[in-house]
Amino acid sequence: MYQPPSLLEKWIQENNELVNKCKQQEAGGGVVSRDHSQSSLRWCSSEFHKLLRKIQGIPPHVDHTQLELAVVCNTCVCFTAQSQFSEAELLLKEATERVLQMTGNNADTSDPLVLWRAVLKSAGNTALHPHVLYLLCLQWTLWLAKCQLENIGELQEMTSLCETVCDGVGDGSPSEAKRRLAKSPLLVMDPKRLTELLQICTSIAQGAEKLNEGRSSEALSDLQAASTMPATRALVAYTHLLSGSCLAHMNRPQMALQCYKKALETDSRCVCALYRSMLIYRQLGNTQAEIQALRLLHSTLMLPPASEPVLGGIHPISPSLLLSSQSLSRLFSVPSALSVLYSLALKCVLSGRVTEGVEHYLDLLAALHSEDQHAVKVDAEVSVLPRMLELYLEAGTALLITRRPADCMALCNEVISTTLELVPEKVVLEEPEERIGGDARGLSVEGEDKVAMLLWAAAAYLLQGHCHAHLKDWKQAVTHYTRCINLVVKVRLKNRDFQPQIPAADVNVKHGKDLCALQRMKGLSLAWRGISFTQMDQLREALRDLQLSLQAFPDYTGAGLWCGEVLWRLGRKHEAAACWEKTWSLTTQTSVEKLPLYLQDPQSGPLLDSVELRLRIQELGLT
Amino acid sequence: VMEGRCAVETWAQFGFSGGSYKVKILCGFGTDVLISDASSSPAELKISQDCLVVGADEVSSLLLVGSVLLTLCQRDASWLLTLYKTPKQTASTSHEEFGSFHLPLVSAVDCGAAESNRGPRKTSVLICIHSGYVEASSPSNASAESTVAQDHFHLEPLLFKLLFGVEAALAKSPVILCGLPDGRLCFLPLRLPGSRLRVLHSLEQPVCFVGASVVTETGHARCLVAAGERGRVVLIKTDNAGSEGGSAVAAFTEGCVPGPVWCGCMDKSCFYYSTGSDLLRLDLSEGSSARENKERGEETSGTTAAALQSPSSLNVCRVIALAEPACSTAGDVQLLAVSARGKLQKICLPVGRDNEGLSKLPSTQVGRSVRDLLSAIGDVCERASVLKTVIKSKNQFLRLLNHAVSISFLLMADTNTDLPIKEKPIRCYAETSWSRLLQKDSLNLVCFLHNSSPFVLERGWTLSITVSPLSCSSSPAGESSSTNSSFPFHDLCPGETFEASLPIAAAGDASFPMTVSCSLIFSLSSLLGEEEVAASFAGLQSSCVSLPLSTLTVDWLHALQLNSPIATHKMATVQPCSAAADSIQTFLSSRQLRCSGRTDRGGESVPKPEPEKYSASVRVSSELVRDTLKPQKSSNLDTKESMRNPEDLYKIALSTSVVHARGPNGAAVKLTAKEINVGEEESTDKEATIEVQIESSSLPVVCGLHHAVLCRIQVQNTLIYHKLISENVLFYLFLLPWTNPPARLLVTSLLFLLYD
Repeated sequence: MYQPPSLLEKWIQENNELVNKCKQQEAGGGVVSRDHSQSSLRWCSSEFHKLLRKIQGIPPHVDHTQLELAVVCNTCVCFTAQSQFSEAELLLKEATERVLQMTGNNADTSDPLVLWRAVLKSAGNTALHPHVLYLLCLQWTLWLAKCQLENIGELQEMTSLCETVCDGVGDGSPSEAKRRLAKSPLLVMDPKRLTELLQICTSIAQGAEKLNEGRSSEALSDLQAASTMPATRALVAYTHLLSGSCLAHMNRPQMALQCYKKALETDSRCVCALYRSMLIYRQLGNTQAEIQALRLLHSTLMLPPASEPVLGGIHPISPSLLLSSQSLSRLFSVPSALSVLYSLALKCVLSGRVTEGVEHYLDLLAALHSEDQHAVKVDAEVSVLPRMLELYLEAGTALLITRRPADCMALCNEVISTTLELVPEKVVLEEPEERIGGDARGLSVEGEDKVAMLLWAAAAYLLQGHCHAHLKDWKQAVTHYTRCINLVVKVRLKNRDFQPQIPAADVNVKHGKDLCALQRMKGLSLAWRGISFTQMDQLREALRDLQLSLQAFPDYTGAGLWCGEVLWRLGRKHEAAACWEKTWSLTTQTSVEKLPLYLQDPQSGPLLDSVELRLRIQELGLT
Repeated sequence: VMEGRCAVETWAQFGFSGGSYKVKILCGFGTDVLISDASSSPAELKISQDCLVVGADEVSSLLLVGSVLLTLCQRDASWLLTLYKTPKQTASTSHEEFGSFHLPLVSAVDCGAAESNRGPRKTSVLICIHSGYVEASSPSNASAESTVAQDHFHLEPLLFKLLFGVEAALAKSPVILCGLPDGRLCFLPLRLPGSRLRVLHSLEQPVCFVGASVVTETGHARCLVAAGERGRVVLIKTDNAGSEGGSAVAAFTEGCVPGPVWCGCMDKSCFYYSTGSDLLRLDLSEGSSARENKERGEETSGTTAAALQSPSSLNVCRVIALAEPACSTAGDVQLLAVSARGKLQKICLPVGRDNEGLSKLPSTQVGRSVRDLLSAIGDVCERASVLKTVIKSKNQFLRLLNHAVSISFLLMADTNTDLPIKEKPIRCYAETSWSRLLQKDSLNLVCFLHNSSPFVLERGWTLSITVSPLSCSSSPAGESSSTNSSFPFHDLCPGETFEASLPIAAAGDASFPMTVSCSLIFSLSSLLGEEEVAASFAGLQSSCVSLPLSTLTVDWLHALQLNSPIATHKMATVQPCSAAADSIQTFLSSRQLRCSGRTDRGGESVPKPEPEKYSASVRVSSELVRDTLKPQKSSNLDTKESMRNPEDLYKIALSTSVVHARGPNGAAVKLTAKEINVGEEESTDKEATIEVQIESSSLPVVCGLHHAVLCRIQVQNTLIYHKLISENVLFYLFLLPWTNPPARLLVTSLLFLLYD
């Protein structure tokens, strides 16, 4: 006779003990490793599931239903926390069917929305209603985790209902709660907190989705509304971040920056906001601010990942579980520390803060060589970081600019010793269009791009030539430029509609990076060998080289000016004047920015003063 | 080429139970790396939980590179290479996982079959390759490296770049090379951002060794070697005169070496590997030296391949694990090996070609070399004895198979020619007898297998006897199953007889006649043993050869229990229980009798007076019977034995005696044989006939006996009077209670069947 109540009490007790154990483990979650908490979660879910099967072993009964639904909720939470969505979904489906069965309704439908409407209706205003709503919240969680936002939209009117009633489930006055402690089943996750979490996460996910679809203004208003919701700092920061992205999308960079700033103020660990603001600065051309942002971003990324602050316990269902859609992860993605460091270094060098840039380059190289650096999974960021040899060459260039030729030469030696053995005797550069993407990178190591290898070695020689020119060791410079030229001429061009003799500027752009680099390198090395010869007073050789250089790369003004100079010195003053005039008439360099750092005109070395040249022309005209 | 001998010295003995464990010799100490492995060798050393650093299941290999511990294991559908960070402080042993790499499984087509026999032994190889010189590595790494140098190799920089890319070379990143059971060789540059596991080569058989050799003066290896379980070896070298571009390429030379490769190791120029029956040395330096001398690009691969063809034997057998060889300053090489029997051995290899004059050796060294020689002799002896036993067992097996084939041939020939049973070289005949066991009478069948062939029937032969009721109608479907017994026997020499006895029916169980089929069965597995058959003739495991010998019939006459006066007396006195049972039977049958309401004349001479209700008789021309039986009169009649031949019947008939017996169901039977004259009334054709009359209260007994008698007479007829008989001389007279229609029907149908 006493059997049913005592059984019920036993089950409630069992459930409550499990819930307490769960909560204890969560409270200690900051200390123990992630692995451990996962295993304890697994244990909890299996225990809850066992209990649930015991309870569901008897036909649905009004007295038991409250307990049963509570246990269903707890099991569901545990399953969801472990990303076992299909199991959780199955549980929910069974539970709704049992509720319907108990209330005497029957819905012969597999459509979850219809089913839920039926359940809500049948639960009506009974004592079950809050529990059914909580179940609905869990369904909501699942849909959100599985990015089924359209279902959530359908349920929106129900969810508004939800938030009003959900308050009443676990959350009562303290005394009431104490009174019920022994009698009523406890819940693993507080329904109120869950609804709050769900609401803000849904807003964020929907905002991201709308932003993705281009409905920025619509998304913006939603996100602004969401930013006032009660939630953790990180989530609020996300709403600001997304608002900023919307504004950036709507072409309001300054307002976007404000939003990113707000995001950072809310949560100082919101690296993404920093990254996004950096992108805005880049877009605005504010180099100083961009560098500042990059530096901050890098130092933030280098911070050890601090343990999450334990405030009021961690909940099994984390925001990261709910914010897993692709559009969100794309919005929240941040490049790795190494590629940030690289961007910083390059930006510094390009914007004239070379000394700083050199430091960053050296840091980067050290990081790449360090013992701690390991092949950690990097997905999309690999492409941001250039090939290691290019890094060496860029660093070498930066070193040369800061007048450290010896260091530059050391780096170049490294590059040469690595590549020279692999440089083929002859290489044919054909179908440049197909070579552009550098898709050979991922294919095979054996067939690593021979052309690239050659270009790297040649560039290293070129840099070494520049170093010697910087040191005014002209003989050595000539030697190294010659080596560079010898490598470059190994490449045979083979293309149906391309004439290597007279390349037009637009052809350079159209054809591949390799080809462009090749022509540029040929022009530079010949011109600088010519300049070196000039310095050694070997004017005939100098003239030959400079003219060849102009053939290979007519856009290079340095070669034109020096060609005139040599002609002048040879006494062919009118030719010289014509040459200078022609050079000045050329439009200034078009595609220098796109060239790698090491292929840009070296700032060191002997220079010609245009004013002085014009004076000479004037004198020539006078005589 | 006999270059010299190697000395084998046993250092220690481990108690292996002979299983195939993966044994790895690690030289040096100080590594605090332990791993929990599901398939570890029998635990003699207890490892405490504190030492557990990584709890991972089914780790197939592991490697320590600097402060990183790598494990390789197979998860659901991919290979998983996991990286763990070893803690800097020794306080905590737990290693932190910080990265993992997946490589999807491929369905290994050909190695699957071979693997399945050997159980779930999935080994993999994990080694670490560094670029360039030993000195080039960072100093912090050096200390760790010295302890675990076993799996670390320094490869020539050019080859390194060709195989693993310039990035890895520039970053001075060690490269992890793993050989998988599916034959793939994969590599992973350890310290390169965004690197992933990539396939370098596929051996298409389980990789069991990967190493680097042909070490130059500068201390780096010029050749990467990978060996597969079934002897396929790939040598990876730099080929300078390779492609049309004139730049260096990596040349992959594949070849096969004899024998399975159990384990291997490398020294500066040689690859040592064990095939189980021998330890072989492959000199890899020849190829490269030949190239340097001759400068002929085409022949490089040729000479390398040639080097693969001619491994030199070191005459050490059963080596299951090898450690990195140690080279002494004098130039001789010492190998550390573990044998299959668990011996830890030190193997000293001969110095090579530059043997100095042996006469100059000091006396201590002479003593040592004598000891070395002795131990070498001992090892060769051991190897020779192993080989001898193998050869002996194979010869034995061949001889047995030859006999089996000859015997099969004999028996097959028998079935084709129609020899009488008694003239067959291997024949089988049987006797029946009643015996009493545990107060239950049962009819026993004794089968005699007589071997008069010139061959010995040896191991692997089994006499199989199948007893099945002739008529299946007596029992409902399903129950008419035959019983099958087999009697394995050893060595039945020519002229010997093997006796097998089996119960065929219990008293009261009357499903006669029965057919007894005897056959000889030869099976490989009983000859060789299960494992050996499974190993060498997979697929023949359950197959055997069955050769039919003869088919015998046990009929009602065989099953009769004769009541000689003595026998009955015995029964009555010795076994009162049986008498009681009989009286119960009597009671029951009398009740039955009363029910049927028919009285009959009482048999005066029957020991237990029972009214014979049914009777049948057969008349045979006495002349015919006499003629038939004349040549075979020598046979004797034993009252204790059941009748085996019609001659017994004839004897009974001739003496006009009355035989009282009991049928298998306990019913009394009276067999009367007497000479009568038939047809004297109407014609001159007077003929003396023998009438055999069968009387019993039990209808089945009468029918059965009648059938048996008829059969036998018929058999005699067909056998001997084939040509003479033109007219049937048999007469049938039934003295049956015709008032019983079912019985009549039964008998007529029985007769119909008989003469069909």
